[in-house]
Amino acid sequence: MVKEIERAGIPVVEMCNLVPVALTVGANKIVPTISIPYPLGDPQTSKEVQWKLRYHRVGVALDALTADITEQTVFNVKI
Amino acid sequence: MRLELGNFSVKDVLFGDKTMFHGGVLTINKEEAINFIKEDEHITEVDLVIAKPGENTRIVPVKEAVEPRIRPDGRAVFPGVTGDLSMAGQGRLHALKGISVLGVGMHWGSFGDGLIDMGGEGAKYTLYSQLINVCIVADTDEVEERYEQQKKNTAIRMASHRLAEYLGQSVKDLEPEEIEVFELDPITKRNEDVNKLPSVVLVMQPQSQMEELGYNDRVYGWDMNKYVPSFMNPNEVLDGALISGSFMPASSKWSTYDFQNFPTIRELYKEHGKSLNFLGVIMSNLNVTLEQKIRSSIFVAQMAKSLGADGAIVTEEGYGNPDTDYILCLAALEDVGVKTVGISNECTGRDGASQPLVTLDIKANALVSTGNVSEIIQLPPADKVIGELEALARDGLSGGWPYDEILGSSVKEDGSIIMENNAMFCGDMIAGWSTKTMKEF
Amino acid sequence: MKKAIHYINQFFAGIGGEEMAAYEPEIREGLLGPSLALSAVLDAEVTHTIICGDNFMGSNTQEAVERILGFLEDKDFDIFIAGPAFQAGRYGFACGTICKAVQEKFGVPALTSMNEENPGAEMFKKDVIIFKGGKSAAKLRGDVKVLANYANKLLKGEKTLSAEEEGFFERGVRAQVWLESGETAAQRGVSMLIKKLAGEEFTSELPIPKQDLVAIAPPIKDLSTAKIALVTTGGIVPVDNPDRIQSASATRWGRYDISQMDRLEAGVFKTIHAGFDPAAADADPNVVMPLDVMKEFLKEGKIGALHNYFYSTVGTGTTQAEAARMGKEIVEKLKEDKVDGVILTAT
Repeated sequence: MVKEIERAGIPVVEMCNLVPVALTVGANKIVPTISIPYPLGDPQTSKEVQWKLRYHRVGVALDALTADITEQTVFNVKI
Repeated sequence: MRLELGNFSVKDVLFGDKTMFHGGVLTINKEEAINFIKEDEHITEVDLVIAKPGENTRIVPVKEAVEPRIRPDGRAVFPGVTGDLSMAGQGRLHALKGISVLGVGMHWGSFGDGLIDMGGEGAKYTLYSQLINVCIVADTDEVEERYEQQKKNTAIRMASHRLAEYLGQSVKDLEPEEIEVFELDPITKRNEDVNKLPSVVLVMQPQSQMEELGYNDRVYGWDMNKYVPSFMNPNEVLDGALISGSFMPASSKWSTYDFQNFPTIRELYKEHGKSLNFLGVIMSNLNVTLEQKIRSSIFVAQMAKSLGADGAIVTEEGYGNPDTDYILCLAALEDVGVKTVGISNECTGRDGASQPLVTLDIKANALVSTGNVSEIIQLPPADKVIGELEALARDGLSGGWPYDEILGSSVKEDGSIIMENNAMFCGDMIAGWSTKTMKEF
Repeated sequence: MKKAIHYINQFFAGIGGEEMAAYEPEIREGLLGPSLALSAVLDAEVTHTIICGDNFMGSNTQEAVERILGFLEDKDFDIFIAGPAFQAGRYGFACGTICKAVQEKFGVPALTSMNEENPGAEMFKKDVIIFKGGKSAAKLRGDVKVLANYANKLLKGEKTLSAEEEGFFERGVRAQVWLESGETAAQRGVSMLIKKLAGEEFTSELPIPKQDLVAIAPPIKDLSTAKIALVTTGGIVPVDNPDRIQSASATRWGRYDISQMDRLEAGVFKTIHAGFDPAAADADPNVVMPLDVMKEFLKEGKIGALHNYFYSTVGTGTTQAEAARMGKEIVEKLKEDKVDGVILTAT
């Protein structure tokens, strides 16, 4: 899926928890998420904490769309 | 640790006046057995049905399989599940061989449930077609999960363990035909002949990925989602310390019967003292987040290294994201100098042309494959159905579907079926029975 | 009797060597050159032989293929065989090209044979069954026999064996086999480990395939004017799952209008993905499909626009071929709306 989008010349960031899977599948831009069932917000934490995490990581992903990379890259997240 | 397994070979199972074992025949008083199952008030309706190898019978939705056993000294067969906790893996255990107790939904199936064909072409897809199956066909009051795809199936699964122990009572005081001994000396107390052989551990990754408790495999009654890898004696596995859960697609599952008879453990025992020194089992788990998966692989690699293992067999109860735990663990072991072999099935897609595991690593260079979960299987109608055939299509079994533009429903009007291997009960026999492999065509 | 048609080049047809390599496609009734050897071992009548110069096929591929497919329109045949091409590179390319085209158009099996050094083998082995052949024409009879052995099974509807046993190049297509030896996975695993520990040779049953990467798309220059789209393989759909997307081994995808909402509400959207615990995603679908923060980024002007739909399917058990097809279909929609970049969330 991600490869077809990239093949069409549209930059794409895959956000996922299992970074080794994304690397194996061949995603070029990867932003880690926190888990499989809740990639962008741990239900054990408050709505505010979940929002902050999601806002930060999706923000990193958007910035990653503008990054000029030469190889498969996993972008760092702070929270 | 020394476990004596006293075997009673069962040639036939009948209903009769008294539950007893005599001359290779297990007779069950059906009414008494049903009353015993109904002691759990969550079981609202129940029937017992016997299915024999070669019959043109289809069983679905199957939730669990258990080998009937008893411990003559009165300890529970499944410590922490059917009775009080005590250390498994030692002492005398009696087993009825060639039969299993199956937990079958009278109506309702779930994601991890499977199908068994006792005869015909479908029989080759599962080990359980070769056993005489005492089927508990039951309905329960667990209405809260009735229309959920994921079900804990607690009442039916627990009934299976309980009935297995109940039937085991029939051989409690009898003298077994054969006694198998499983014994490993403590690791630091082995003699030179054994110590000079390459040391090997078995790393098991049982299913533990549901964060809500009640779906996962259990060790001594403890939900394995709350468990970290630790060292176990293989006898504990063979002796009821682990029971199966209710989450993984059926063909990838280890039933409780599988744990009780785990062929890879038996094979390592066979080679112990001959070609290898079997150190024991590192019982790991399967996780949800990458961090947890990496952490478990660290625990496993450290234990293997500290135990002095030269080699390890890693085996996973699952496919899909659990492949990440599997490959990470194989790679972590190779990184600390432990040579590995992996045993698992694969998901190469219905076309057989897709990536077989979701993560790959060139360090995993010695893998055994036991089948493709996605391979399409078409089977003719069966004369008799135990359970409810429609469950395969209706209830979200991993290898069934209600509707498809091209393939239609999994269940046809004439009773024939089309499904993915995914829904074959323990079909990929990852525990080690599989004579199936994958080849290029 | 079943019928076969055979493809050979100008050289094997006896027309000429390099000087005749531009020879135009032609179909003749009956046998010619290697067709005689083929006919002797094939349980089918070779009714026609097609001849084409290697350079003609190489330089005018589309035209050559069209003309040959044209020859075949009114012919009745059960199998198509090309070559063997041995180590001849252009001939190998021709055999691969025509076999692929014939099997796609007519749905009949098309087989060829070439040496592993032949670049045509690498080029076509995924699409066409190519037998591993010798380096030169001295191996003609042997190569044809191996190919015919397999072809005869296909013609009779008999069971065929694995690529290794039949002698053709692996295509990356795997299927379940029950081992006749009856050796169990436990036995295979333990004996593989014993061999590995002893430093002996062993064969993995699941060789790790080479990784296939795509070219990195040019980055977005200015996010604040860019249109972004959201895609997920986490199975987020309206609660009634209107597109009936499967919870595993998906072959369908859906797109859902989000232009009028600020976030995905529980009870309106849910996940149908069967591979994980759905509780968190059902309680707040934004943890899988982060619409709420995307709308915030839109408000703040970090992104220029958000595509009106999000796209959803289920990743688990889905074949690469299906995923690629669905990906292509989704790309069409993205292009129609001039989407500049995509965030794909996976579970």
